[in-house]
Amino acid sequence: MIARDFMLFLPELTYLVAALILFFMCLPQKADHKAIYAVALALAGLGVAGALLGMGQEGHLFFDAYQVDLFSQVFKLILAVAVLLVVGICHGLAGVEDRYHADFFLFLFTCGLGMMLMVSAVELMTLYVALELSSFSLYILVPLRRGDNLDVEAGVKYLFIGITASCVMLFGMSYIFGVSHTTYLAGIMDRLPLIIQQPAAMIGLMLTLSGFFFKLAVFPFHFWAPDVYQGAANQVAAFIATASKAAAVALLIRLTALTGGTSLYFIDVLMVLCVASMTLGNLVAIVQKGIKRMLAYSSVAHAGYVLMGILTMSELGYSAAVFYSMAYMLMNFAAFGVVVMVATSGQNLAISDLAGLHKRSPLLALTLMIALFSLAGIPPTVGFTGKFLVFAGAMQQGYFWLVLVGMINATISLYYYLMVIKAAYLSESPAELPPLVVSMPLRLLNYLLIAAMVYFGVCPGGFLDLAQAAVRGMMGGD
Amino acid sequence: MTAVAPGSTIVWLTLAAMGLPFAAFLAIFFVTRPRLLPSLVISLACSAFSLAVAWWLLIHLRGIDAPLMFQALWMHGGQASIGFGFLLDPLSLVMLAIVTSISFLVQVYSLGYMAGDPGMAKYYSFLSLFAWSMIGLVVASNLMQLYIFWELVGLSSYLLIGFWHQKFSASQAGKKAFVMTRLGDLGFFLGIIVLLLNLGDLSILGLNSQAAAKLSPALLTASAVLVFCGVVGKSAQFPLLTWLPDAMEGPTPVSALLHSATMVAAGVYLVSRLYPMYAASADALAIMLAIGTVTMLLASTMAMVARDIKQVWAYSTVSQLGFMLMGLGAGSYFAGVFHLTTHAAFKALLFLCSGVFIHHFGTNDFFDMSRQGARHLRIPMVCITIAGAALAGVFPLAGFFSKEAVMGSLAELDQGIWLWAGLLGALLTAYYTFRLLFVMWRPLQPLQDKQSNPGHDDHQHSGHSSFGYGVMSAALIVLAGFTIALGFLGDKLIAFLHWQRPPQIPHHTWLLVTAILVVLVGIALAWWEFGRRGAAQEGFLRRFPALETLFARRWYLDDLYRRLTDYVVYGVFSRLCTLNDRRVVDGAIDGVCRGTVGAGWLLSFLQSGLLQYNLFAMVLVIALVGIYFLLL
Repeated sequence: MIARDFMLFLPELTYLVAALILFFMCLPQKADHKAIYAVALALAGLGVAGALLGMGQEGHLFFDAYQVDLFSQVFKLILAVAVLLVVGICHGLAGVEDRYHADFFLFLFTCGLGMMLMVSAVELMTLYVALELSSFSLYILVPLRRGDNLDVEAGVKYLFIGITASCVMLFGMSYIFGVSHTTYLAGIMDRLPLIIQQPAAMIGLMLTLSGFFFKLAVFPFHFWAPDVYQGAANQVAAFIATASKAAAVALLIRLTALTGGTSLYFIDVLMVLCVASMTLGNLVAIVQKGIKRMLAYSSVAHAGYVLMGILTMSELGYSAAVFYSMAYMLMNFAAFGVVVMVATSGQNLAISDLAGLHKRSPLLALTLMIALFSLAGIPPTVGFTGKFLVFAGAMQQGYFWLVLVGMINATISLYYYLMVIKAAYLSESPAELPPLVVSMPLRLLNYLLIAAMVYFGVCPGGFLDLAQAAVRGMMGGD
Repeated sequence: MTAVAPGSTIVWLTLAAMGLPFAAFLAIFFVTRPRLLPSLVISLACSAFSLAVAWWLLIHLRGIDAPLMFQALWMHGGQASIGFGFLLDPLSLVMLAIVTSISFLVQVYSLGYMAGDPGMAKYYSFLSLFAWSMIGLVVASNLMQLYIFWELVGLSSYLLIGFWHQKFSASQAGKKAFVMTRLGDLGFFLGIIVLLLNLGDLSILGLNSQAAAKLSPALLTASAVLVFCGVVGKSAQFPLLTWLPDAMEGPTPVSALLHSATMVAAGVYLVSRLYPMYAASADALAIMLAIGTVTMLLASTMAMVARDIKQVWAYSTVSQLGFMLMGLGAGSYFAGVFHLTTHAAFKALLFLCSGVFIHHFGTNDFFDMSRQGARHLRIPMVCITIAGAALAGVFPLAGFFSKEAVMGSLAELDQGIWLWAGLLGALLTAYYTFRLLFVMWRPLQPLQDKQSNPGHDDHQHSGHSSFGYGVMSAALIVLAGFTIALGFLGDKLIAFLHWQRPPQIPHHTWLLVTAILVVLVGIALAWWEFGRRGAAQEGFLRRFPALETLFARRWYLDDLYRRLTDYVVYGVFSRLCTLNDRRVVDGAIDGVCRGTVGAGWLLSFLQSGLLQYNLFAMVLVIALVGIYFLLL
């Protein structure tokens, strides 16, 4: 029995142990960077192994507040892969103060742990604590950056907006508890569809969702994104842009499923947020000069696309959203990875700094191009398939106008993605810059990302089936 | 005919044979390109593996009585589903053996031909890419898959024609080939769409068994003719025939592989692949017959005046492809496929022999080669003679038998004109082939000084190693063996192609005699003009300058196309489109863009970094949502 429970908790346990090990590595005054990096990489690899072993486990833990099912395990796998990828590009870690390297990895892992707990939590308080664990780790990660005070400003801003969202969320949870007399999602799911027409229930749920809207950077909780992306070290920005989004999608799916899709008004509000996020993100991204700020606004737009899948509240839409979050993790990571590898001393890059990239490193330019094409949704990349699935989900529910707006937005987004590609491929750099040396493991990583982006774009079947099975289990099982 | 699922050994071997050349392409192009030796080893090993599998399949499955099909579902939506996989039946088995054999021999031959070229590794990666696309095309179980590989074949052809892209003419030729074949492919794709919309099934077996029953005759003819447009482009038929002679700008082994033996034959293969569907539409067959005939005659006349050895074989290829289509159009599946098979062997041989001469003498003009002593290169000389005789249809070489089969099918038609056209074609073929052979054997004024190479050097070769000559000759001898032997396998092939139940083919002794006589007349004419002692080696066409110019300028087809593009495309369409583009589209887009960018600026001002304002906006939206819910 105990052994079985340990198996259920294996991915989280791996991360917990990893965090402990890294904690002890923080203690010495003088730290060996190479050793810390190696240990972190090994631990992240173990984390993926743990998540893989955890696939297929099912059961409940901690007085049923914690549910392990296919849905949670798929997301844990995505999270573990994202953490591994991010650790993979942390070699050297030029953007972070030297003495904080171990701390950096420590908080990366606690954040990963928090998100893993979050996707399995089926009780409001557990959910809240897990969310805060991951949020607070990020609040610390952001100002760890070396150099100017931009990072501190970003950290403070992140903290304030995060806390406000958190307050709103707790307020909403109290409403939900008030109308349903339980904090267990299973219990709420039984009662909520009956009373969803009451304003208290609807407002409660919507406010609860705001905590995750904050994570996903949905309008109007997106204000932190550009500053934080810009202020944080490149690797941290990559982490926030990939892993943390996936966890938020998982929770949004779980919580919106509580309504059983019965409330049209609720969907109306989500639609407004979806359209606002897409449009605002894409329009503002056009005028950005810094590539990280551009990617931040693009992430706001992508949050809108994911929301389109979620607000259908159908099996197809949900699995499209799961697929999209995987796709987004891959392509956004690839884009950030290039930023990290080009910014060798950890500085922020302007789009114009990419000029002549195709000469300095053809591979990085290619990775960037495919990642951006994928973000823009051009076949045969994974981003196209993801968008297609999300749009198909919305069409199935008859939201034609929403899909139309989404498509117009995809066209707008093409503009600023192509500007970056133009800089990388067509512009000549004003000064003669040396070729970028990319080490063999990183080259392999790039090849792998390109292959994955194309593979999942052409053959989405395998992962989509998994996502569908997970969503079906989640919708029926709760 | 229902398909049978193949055993797992066959599945894995075939999939490996399909996939390995692509793996070779990736490995060479992305990893080993800077290093020559591993690239060569990878490419040759993968090619040899595909070759072995192809021949093993052909021998192992020689007695099959139902097609083997393996298919994985690739796309499914609405009423239509599209699979991906392979279909093994006598036709694809034979074609697979041809493709892999020629492809392997050309790779071996290129070891000698391309030695010392700085881009040799890249060249081999492209050859592997081509092998992959061609194998995928041949075994495709589905018209969509076939189309995808069809386009990939076009791409690799483009890459290989323009391989010496420093040469302006080479890149121009690559472009021309691409554009002209695309024109045909447009029709092909429309045909696929028509079939998909009306049948919902693109599997080749399904098309062959159901198209005739489920489609109305008009629709059937329309889709068959549309698909045939692709054939016209790919197999360089009238009116899209002028790209092929230009495509000879690529390295000679490429011409042998793509532009004579395999790729251009893909068009003919496609017709054979869908032959039951074509056979159901008499009109489509008639169109095919007419286009084949026109092409065959036009191209033979062009071959009569060319001085570039590769041009001669290029025209001859076009004309022979037309001849195959005549056979198919006349209703004989076997004749078309048989001529395709033998043609692959002897035409590849012709090109590879020519390659040796070009490599050795640094010129494409066969009068020049002859003067510099081409006849002293014994092996290629003998081989080119064998292959040339086969092309002309001399007994007992391969070409004789397959030509007889086509003639036999033409004789079955009601109108005699087709047969007469065929015989005229045979006469011209014998004439232009032996014109070249006689010139090569009997130089007019042999040059004593071999140092003075003429200027237009096609191929930057660095020294003639005996190794290079050795591997090239080896490939030649193997192909010569095929050229001699293949003709006698006709009976086996017809039984195999018709699932062991060959149809009765009537024999006409008079036709046999006439055909042989026609060939002899052609040879005699060539001998009189070029071969006999004291011949002027000018050709009888010199006495009809107008005709000679007409043939040499390719019946002014290129000029016509040039005029057409200049006046119609550039003058009318382009101009109007440009106007529309500048004024209407650009204007509108610019307006929208300015609006969008402006909106972006406006919104970005709202995104000021002030925290108080941000929090206020958040709370405001939440409050609005709350009010919305409360007011409901």
